[in-house]
Amino acid sequence: MGFFSRFLNGQMLFERIETRILVGVVMFVGTLILVGWVAINETARMAAFEQQFNARAVERGAALYVSNCASCHNPDGYGQANRAPALNNPQLFGYDYFASIRSERQDLQNELNNTETPPTAERTEALQLRLGELDAQELQLRQQMQQATQRGYDPDRPDRLLNLGWAGSRQAFIFTTLVHGRPVSINYWGGNVMVAWSQQAGGPLRNDQLQDLTSFIMNWNRDFTVEDLLSVNQFAIEPVDPRFATGGGAAGVGRDGAAAYAAIGELTGDPNRGQSIYNGQEPTALGFYMACATCHAGGNVGPLTTGTWTRVLNERLPALPQYTSGEEYLVHSIVAPNEYVVTGYAGMPDNLGDQMDAQDLVDLVAFLMTQDQ
Amino acid sequence: MSVLPFPSFLDDIKEKGLRKAVFEGVDEVVERLTAGMNIQDVREALRGEAPSRKPNPRLTPHADGFWLHMRPSYFHKDMTGLYPTFRLGWLSTYFVFFETITGIFLMIWYTPSPEIAYGNMLNILSNVPLGQLMRDLHRLGAEGMVLIVWLHMLRTFLTGSYKKPRQFTWFTGVVLLIATMFLSFTGYLLPWDQLALWAVTIGASMVEAAPPPIVGQTLNLLFRGGPELGANGLLRFYLLHVLLVPAVLFVFTGVHYYKVIVHGHSLPPQKENIGEDTAKRVPLDKRVYFIPDVLTSEMMWIAVTTFVLVVLCVWFFHAPLENHADPQVTPLGTTAPWYFLWIQGALKLGDKVFWGIIFPTLVIILLMVWPYVDTQPSRRYAHRRFAITVCALFVSIMTILSYMGLPEYGVTTSADSEIRHELTMEPAHSHIGIIRPVPFEQLVPGIYTTEQIRIEREVNPADLRDDLEVFNQRVVDLGHADAITSEMGTQQLPLQAGWSFDVVPADAPLLHEVLVEFYEMMEEERQELRNGYGIIIITESQPNLRRVDVLIHWEEVLIDRGHVALDANGNSIPLFYQLDDQGARVLDDNGRPVITSTPTLDPNGTPLNVEPIERITSSHIFLHRSAEYFHRPGGN
Repeated sequence: MGFFSRFLNGQMLFERIETRILVGVVMFVGTLILVGWVAINETARMAAFEQQFNARAVERGAALYVSNCASCHNPDGYGQANRAPALNNPQLFGYDYFASIRSERQDLQNELNNTETPPTAERTEALQLRLGELDAQELQLRQQMQQATQRGYDPDRPDRLLNLGWAGSRQAFIFTTLVHGRPVSINYWGGNVMVAWSQQAGGPLRNDQLQDLTSFIMNWNRDFTVEDLLSVNQFAIEPVDPRFATGGGAAGVGRDGAAAYAAIGELTGDPNRGQSIYNGQEPTALGFYMACATCHAGGNVGPLTTGTWTRVLNERLPALPQYTSGEEYLVHSIVAPNEYVVTGYAGMPDNLGDQMDAQDLVDLVAFLMTQDQ
Repeated sequence: MSVLPFPSFLDDIKEKGLRKAVFEGVDEVVERLTAGMNIQDVREALRGEAPSRKPNPRLTPHADGFWLHMRPSYFHKDMTGLYPTFRLGWLSTYFVFFETITGIFLMIWYTPSPEIAYGNMLNILSNVPLGQLMRDLHRLGAEGMVLIVWLHMLRTFLTGSYKKPRQFTWFTGVVLLIATMFLSFTGYLLPWDQLALWAVTIGASMVEAAPPPIVGQTLNLLFRGGPELGANGLLRFYLLHVLLVPAVLFVFTGVHYYKVIVHGHSLPPQKENIGEDTAKRVPLDKRVYFIPDVLTSEMMWIAVTTFVLVVLCVWFFHAPLENHADPQVTPLGTTAPWYFLWIQGALKLGDKVFWGIIFPTLVIILLMVWPYVDTQPSRRYAHRRFAITVCALFVSIMTILSYMGLPEYGVTTSADSEIRHELTMEPAHSHIGIIRPVPFEQLVPGIYTTEQIRIEREVNPADLRDDLEVFNQRVVDLGHADAITSEMGTQQLPLQAGWSFDVVPADAPLLHEVLVEFYEMMEEERQELRNGYGIIIITESQPNLRRVDVLIHWEEVLIDRGHVALDANGNSIPLFYQLDDQGARVLDDNGRPVITSTPTLDPNGTPLNVEPIERITSSHIFLHRSAEYFHRPGGN
């Protein structure tokens, strides 16, 4: 009997029940195997998708930049003099041209000043020779940068975010700037103002578009050269009250807890000055206003100031054996706050160590040690 | 004497021994779960043997159990085969459950708000294990369901199974068809990407055409939740998709199947005498019992269909996800979902109210009332020539209208924007701009022109560099170079003064291929794009990011109602600016230049005192090294 007449006579596709069961079971097991195989490969697939999607966000951001931003910030992102600052800009990304020189110099000086195992005369000479070379390098670099310096770049304060006292991420800085614009910029850009770009704030763009733009601007980050710096047409102007703009210099105590604790060494703290810094009444030696009390006064955002020392001795030290003393714990808590976060509170800004020197730090610790009850 | 103070399993063990007691216990559990079949009965059924005890235990699950109470315990042998049902009704039912289950998984990861719906999609794709597969299955299942339901309907029509007494069953089937299409349509909007927004905008705009205007406007407002699709509209579509339409679908599925059982499955037309309905009288030798034959067949079809869907979604199909929805940007070539293309095609025939509202309503009414109109009793194919002709015509018309619904049909876009779109378009509807898949390494920064291809084909390729140099000079002399520089200036791409065209490097064969296709498209449109040539400018924008500009330069010709006007020789008619004796453009009273298509000619046939109207347009895209555009969205 041919297939067609079988078909018209109402035969099932598989007339034998065994065949139907076999086909069904094989298909079912096949489905399970396939889904299992897909599941095994999911991690890689999801990662690939994410990378691909981020790349497309950059593409879309680039298109948005051309139609919305390029007329002020320039198509190449180098900004326009007296109109809009560069975004394709080492300053925006906090690129420190002297970082490697400074760290090498620090290492050499540590070796030179080591009193326990002083260097040999021969070694001392070599060290001093290298230090001289580094100084010459730095000087040369500074001379190369001169044009940029004349246009307002400060090689010793290379990070725009740090200069503004911004505690969040760079991405968030760019994103929120796009959201609300720079309402005050009309005062220093000769009548031009950066408007709010988000629809929430009355601008034209949706949040996902601002995210794409942020991805595009972040994509300018790279290992910058001095040529890049010299290409910048306009550096950012900081709307800072000149009375407060006292400080400068990037040589803070740093973000490394152990190093900071070593740096305060034998220094003696002044609790009164510490209190002033803590409450934002006096800047640090680097010119920054800390205002720790903003978060710690009420005890809702951060742990309450009152009773700090008591809690350190009675609660933290017994639970955290890696800290040998209360002072050490406090130093770590200030410059490397994410090492240990007290349950129930968000993390502190992690760049405070860049805004104070060792004396500031020891003063703050001295003040906190008075907070017992 | 009982072990515990009441009769228990322990007494059984004591009395019968552990082995026997456990076996009997399990046997009893199986019999309760199956509502009447013990282990031996199940075993016999699956082996295809006759039941060994009486009364037939395979009938009790239908009589005593909930799950099978609506299923007949036996079917007529003539309708359990592949023909006449093709299992399409069963598959439609299966898809209802398949879509419900995959849909519930997607619901876990979805919030119906324009703020985050698209982000949810990205999250499903990048952060939910098996999320992509689940989304693909749901989407493919939705489209498959529409197809299967249409085919089910077509089959029912062809075998005349809608005839008395099954008219109402057919009617509920039409309701289910509408519910299915509406479900698929409402689901279309939820990803909140460009595809969704515009496909649904087109669909929803038909509602607005409902007469009189006050009704149309009100319906439109109710449907979209505002003048434009936004937060309210998305929420409404979501609720329609997950609550209202499924509720209608489930209720009518129940009614539909109840009617199918009440009247019995209709037999193939040739198996009955004319005017008879013997479906409910199944002779003993024609009985095929649900357990085990139909049950195993149904299970097999489920397994096969699921397997096919999974295979398709692993290797061949990925649910599309375009860019975030943007009411400000209408993509070129927007279409409704394929199963609504017939309406979109009909709309191109003329009046929006008639073709957009009245015509589809008439189609639905025709389908609904057909069984009550076609009361001729014979179901034999030979006796139903008129009905089958109508059916064939209906299928043909729907196919033609669907074709007319495609953007290729009857939508006139200027040739230059068509070509630029073809080169640069975002992945959509399984198409992608031909530049996008070019590997990043082959997008070598430079300025290229389709003239290179013309020289390679029509002139000696060996002199390519020299000939391109000549072309460079001509472009400068004619002032095109300045026009190009200025066009790029408005697009925020400053070109260096004195730029010139480059030859595509030998190690960028795919870029060369793009240029060839660009050239061929320009050639195809040479009537409209008179003396035209294309330019591709590739520049480095950022680390790992390149910008590609596509420009077309041509001289304007006479366009008549969207089409190129042709002269007696079949050539397009160039347009010119009229010049005065000093060579300055003649202006009309409003200060606009005078344009002519009939300049005075000198004895050699060269037009006098005119200047061709030069046009230049451009578009640009950015391509990132890691974006990895594929020919098929998401495919590989």
